[in-house]
Amino acid sequence: MPFPDVKLANRPLHFLYLCDCSGSMAASGKMQALNQAIRQSLPGMAAVARDNPEARVLVRAVSFADRAAWHIETPTPVDQLEWRDLQAGGITAMGAALQLVAAALQTPPMEVRALPPVLVLISDGQPTDDFAAGLEALRRVPWAQKAVRLAIALGHDADLEVLQRFIGSEPATAGRSPRRPLQAGNATSLAQYIQWASTAVVGAASMPASRVSETPLEPAAGNIPLPDLPPTVLDPTDDVGPVVW
Amino acid sequence: MNWILPEGASLGFEGLAAPLRIIRGLGGGTQGQVYEVELEGERLALKWYLPACIARDAGLERRLAASIRATAPNDAFLWPIALLRASPASRPLIRIREESFGYLMPLRPPAYVGASEHAAGRLAIGLRQVLRACFGLADAFHALHLAGLCYKDVSLGNLFLEPGGGGILICDNDNVAVDGAEPGAVLGTPGFMAPEVLLGQARPGADSDLFSLAVLLFRLLTRHDPLKGQMELAIRCLDEPARRRLCGEDPVFIFDPVDARNRPDPIEHAAALITWPIYPRPLQALFEQTFCRGMKQPSRRALTGQWKQELARTLDQRSLCPACGQENFQAAGAPALCWSCGSPLPQPITLALPRGPVLAAPDNELHPHHFDALVGEDLRRPLARVVAHPQDPRRLGLCNLSAAAWSAEAADGRSWPVGPGESCSLAALIRILTPAGPIAVQRPIPPAPAA
Repeated sequence: MPFPDVKLANRPLHFLYLCDCSGSMAASGKMQALNQAIRQSLPGMAAVARDNPEARVLVRAVSFADRAAWHIETPTPVDQLEWRDLQAGGITAMGAALQLVAAALQTPPMEVRALPPVLVLISDGQPTDDFAAGLEALRRVPWAQKAVRLAIALGHDADLEVLQRFIGSEPATAGRSPRRPLQAGNATSLAQYIQWASTAVVGAASMPASRVSETPLEPAAGNIPLPDLPPTVLDPTDDVGPVVW
Repeated sequence: MNWILPEGASLGFEGLAAPLRIIRGLGGGTQGQVYEVELEGERLALKWYLPACIARDAGLERRLAASIRATAPNDAFLWPIALLRASPASRPLIRIREESFGYLMPLRPPAYVGASEHAAGRLAIGLRQVLRACFGLADAFHALHLAGLCYKDVSLGNLFLEPGGGGILICDNDNVAVDGAEPGAVLGTPGFMAPEVLLGQARPGADSDLFSLAVLLFRLLTRHDPLKGQMELAIRCLDEPARRRLCGEDPVFIFDPVDARNRPDPIEHAAALITWPIYPRPLQALFEQTFCRGMKQPSRRALTGQWKQELARTLDQRSLCPACGQENFQAAGAPALCWSCGSPLPQPITLALPRGPVLAAPDNELHPHHFDALVGEDLRRPLARVVAHPQDPRRLGLCNLSAAAWSAEAADGRSWPVGPGESCSLAALIRILTPAGPIAVQRPIPPAPAA
């Protein structure tokens, strides 16, 4: 006879992409690389969601160019997600994108109980609108304060200072840290960071990973301890020249 | 996945006479990546560590070497077989600059699936199989603790189940160490960690293993978390500080008989409320022991031997509801209702053995520990199994799984031999004599005395 038909209680985990679609993203295949990176990351993300039955992983995406708009407005279970390609063109309304996300993280429409949301901001340039006002709006929302905020800088023209302000203050420890913007210099590293954010970080936010003594257990460590960044794997395809921005 | 070791390549490793062929990558996490490999025709698994993991854990290599020397406590562990470092010739083929190493272990057979599949309710598995898996887990930790070792990082993530028979495998044995020896790097997985470890007051060891084991058993048996009740519902954002409060600073068992602050919510935590009453009182008492008094007093937690005994007894009390067919666990002599459909459960035929009764329900088994007080509970080598008659499933028989013949006796004094592999009908018999010991067949209504 089957085990009683009972389901484990779970909580939603909202995962939001904020994607820069300004005109500069059209150069050197950056837009295509981002679309590919996200699409390729979905099976791995679905696998992590499967392995974490305590979390209900729901994905949304905002695109910003001349204005900010929902690319995926309905929180969508990751295994049902179909990634339509983003199109590049326009300027960089990053502040408006933050306003949009701030409104979405209000309760309601946000659930009363959830896991910490994960926000991933990807940009190759400088905001052209009122970024500070957008950030301020976001900071006022409790769910945004609790969120794991990550930023990926595409190429050399990304405004690292703006991305750092989105993440929050820089940590005292030096070296590669997820608390700094991740700098993707080519399509391979972009794909790696997107994969890391959508798998390792989603895993850490939904069910705590095994802890080692180096990880401080004090609450001061932030509300979710971030997993290690992916190792730098020597990619043989580097030699044949991926898109270099 | 970016695989560090090249799939399809044959690599040389120090200390291995033959090259190891990397067949394919199986998975990766924050610690390292696991590959299916072939060594001299044998399929094995290879875990290869990320440099960051090695850098964090100074004792890792020494611990692995000690485990390899000690060999596995029992066959439920996917135990390290050999520590591997790339030979100088193969070093350039490893796609990572920093020095790294890995270890070989047995490959997990495909029938074994991650225990989170059961937690998520996606696995076709019965109560008997879940209880057998729980017994296997307690048995594995019993062997580990008796060997003076501790596991330190028990969680759903390193347990695999075989849903057909309830077999288990335990992976990620790289934190295993001698209990109380030099502290390793790992502290455990929040949600499974003992409160004293989560709060940083103690290092993980055999006592904290007992807490984590109880959490894992509870999660397998109820599909719910022992600490998630009303107090969890009061938390809006379940992040690290919240988990620390819930599981470390003020942990309250949802079924604590005294402290009712954390009772399950009838809607949100229905799983716990439905499944908990299925289990016999003595099994529930071990959870109460571990999660109430044992919450703050590690030495009061239920021991692996106690879990083995109660889980084996629970399996002995398994019966099937005649109305709905669902599995129940009936205390001898006590009237009971089916937990699933509410029908009254009749007293089934009981097999009285030297070491306690076993109810006659299809698939219930007799083991050496039912006959011999000096043998520990072990489900691997059954001597007999209750079977339904192939033509009339209501008629139950006992199948001889041992290598020796039995003698089955009827009330009128006649007797029949029952050879290995043969079954005898329980309806007609009063006693079965086996080389292991006697089996008395007790029917709820004694047969009318002969005229």
